[in-house]
Amino acid sequence: MNPVFRSVRELSAAIRECHVSPVELTEAFLDRLDRLGPRYNAVVTVTRERALGQARRAEGEIAAGRWRGPLHGMPYGAKDLLAATGAPTTWGAAPLRGQTFDTDATVIRRLEAAGAVLVAKLAMVELAGGMGYRQPNASFTGPGISPWGDDAWSGGSSSGSGSAVAAGLVPFAIGSETWGSILSPAAYCGVSGLRPTYGRVSRHGAMALSWTLDKLGPLALTADDCGLVLDAIAGPDPHDPSAADRPFTYDARDPTDRRFRFGVVRGIADGAEPAVREAFAASLETLAKLGTVDEVTLADLPYDAITRTILSAEAASAFEDLIESGAIAGLTAPEDHHMPYARDAMLAKDYIKALRLRAHVMREADRVLSRLDALVAPGRPATAPPLAREFRDLHRPARDPMGAIGNAAGLPAIAVPNGFSESGLPTSLQFMGRAWEDNTVLAAARAWQAITDFHRRHPAID
Amino acid sequence: MPRMSEPAATSREADVLFELVRGRYGDRLTPEQLESVRRGVAAIVEQAAALRAVRLDNADEPVQRFVPFRADE
Repeated sequence: MNPVFRSVRELSAAIRECHVSPVELTEAFLDRLDRLGPRYNAVVTVTRERALGQARRAEGEIAAGRWRGPLHGMPYGAKDLLAATGAPTTWGAAPLRGQTFDTDATVIRRLEAAGAVLVAKLAMVELAGGMGYRQPNASFTGPGISPWGDDAWSGGSSSGSGSAVAAGLVPFAIGSETWGSILSPAAYCGVSGLRPTYGRVSRHGAMALSWTLDKLGPLALTADDCGLVLDAIAGPDPHDPSAADRPFTYDARDPTDRRFRFGVVRGIADGAEPAVREAFAASLETLAKLGTVDEVTLADLPYDAITRTILSAEAASAFEDLIESGAIAGLTAPEDHHMPYARDAMLAKDYIKALRLRAHVMREADRVLSRLDALVAPGRPATAPPLAREFRDLHRPARDPMGAIGNAAGLPAIAVPNGFSESGLPTSLQFMGRAWEDNTVLAAARAWQAITDFHRRHPAID
Repeated sequence: MPRMSEPAATSREADVLFELVRGRYGDRLTPEQLESVRRGVAAIVEQAAALRAVRLDNADEPVQRFVPFRADE
């Protein structure tokens, strides 16, 4: 069988029924990573030796009747901010190209326990974008490229996680989001990307950008695959105090009989690119087949300023050594060489004020979401921007209330494809739910993908 | 729900804070970079003004849970 562009669930069935072996599968994806990874600037390190060892072990266990679950023998890629032994962990930053760790991140360990096969460390925006980059060329591996266009950015900061899934280089990938870093590459690369509830997944062994905003989550071809991966990586961890002691089991029951209650923030698509607005308007009509769609309003709060202040202040502290030492001059994006210095102008009282206001953001979001299954909105207000363009020159609204609220409040959200622009670039739809309702946003996205086919369309690669 | 007021004028604050940043790092930055940092400081001050414009009550605590530590618990 050709394993490319098949879902994790399909591949898992093929592995279990011995239609394909984990070693064959791993070799097929290793070959694609070697051959096609450079085309999209998607890969930092192909972990061939580790992958083949894990694949042989999986093959032996499955042959002996010891099937660990749906990820057993499944190749995947990890954003290069997750520590993994035997390979550098560069955080996308040139000054850290040789950085290594002698332990695996908790997520890497959990995926290994589930039998998954690490085939690559994937490219990312340097330091997960924490230095304030303003254009796509902000990684020592070059600007991430979406497989949907030669001059289309893959999004960031989980750039390689998005493009590698979209190009069929891995069946799934792990990314991270502080503000937009899973949803943006999912949108620009036309794949599904899940930002779990804050605390759902341990960040132990992951680069810290903002301790109170960072989340890890999967990108894959389908929302169902994201659920399968979340099931394997979620759960408490004594090494990460933020990892919540809340059990999570993926609810894979058919969601198509369910009637959902969707909400749309008034004016949420205003200012978006025309192709995004059109796709979103069409999506709202389709969503009406799945349940109710009602307009909602949010209290007037400076959402972007709140989240931006928290992120910038925590990033300034997380990277204090790199900034103070001047090592940021070795980063790729010219603006990252100096912009972090401006953050010395942040005052402690303003950071505390943002944390006090955050409580109001959380209560306001919960007030709205307690009556709904999900808020829906465009995944991004625009399609993938050109590689050489500064973000401030792009056609997009100045504010991102869904991203600011969702990340400040630590809410789960998933982005799934919902259309294409005239130039063939994907557009995206996001479902954002109440805290800990990861299964609800997954169910909504799966119901969406049960009646649409955007997730089954793939770029011409070979 | 918190109350909003108009953000106060902030350009003098931005100037003062920029001088602090320039004093710390000016010797490693070009004039173009310094100008970019100046704009960054202005954006931070503008952001802070948006936060300060929201009036909170004394009892509005930050979302930052402090838990006393014991190694044996």
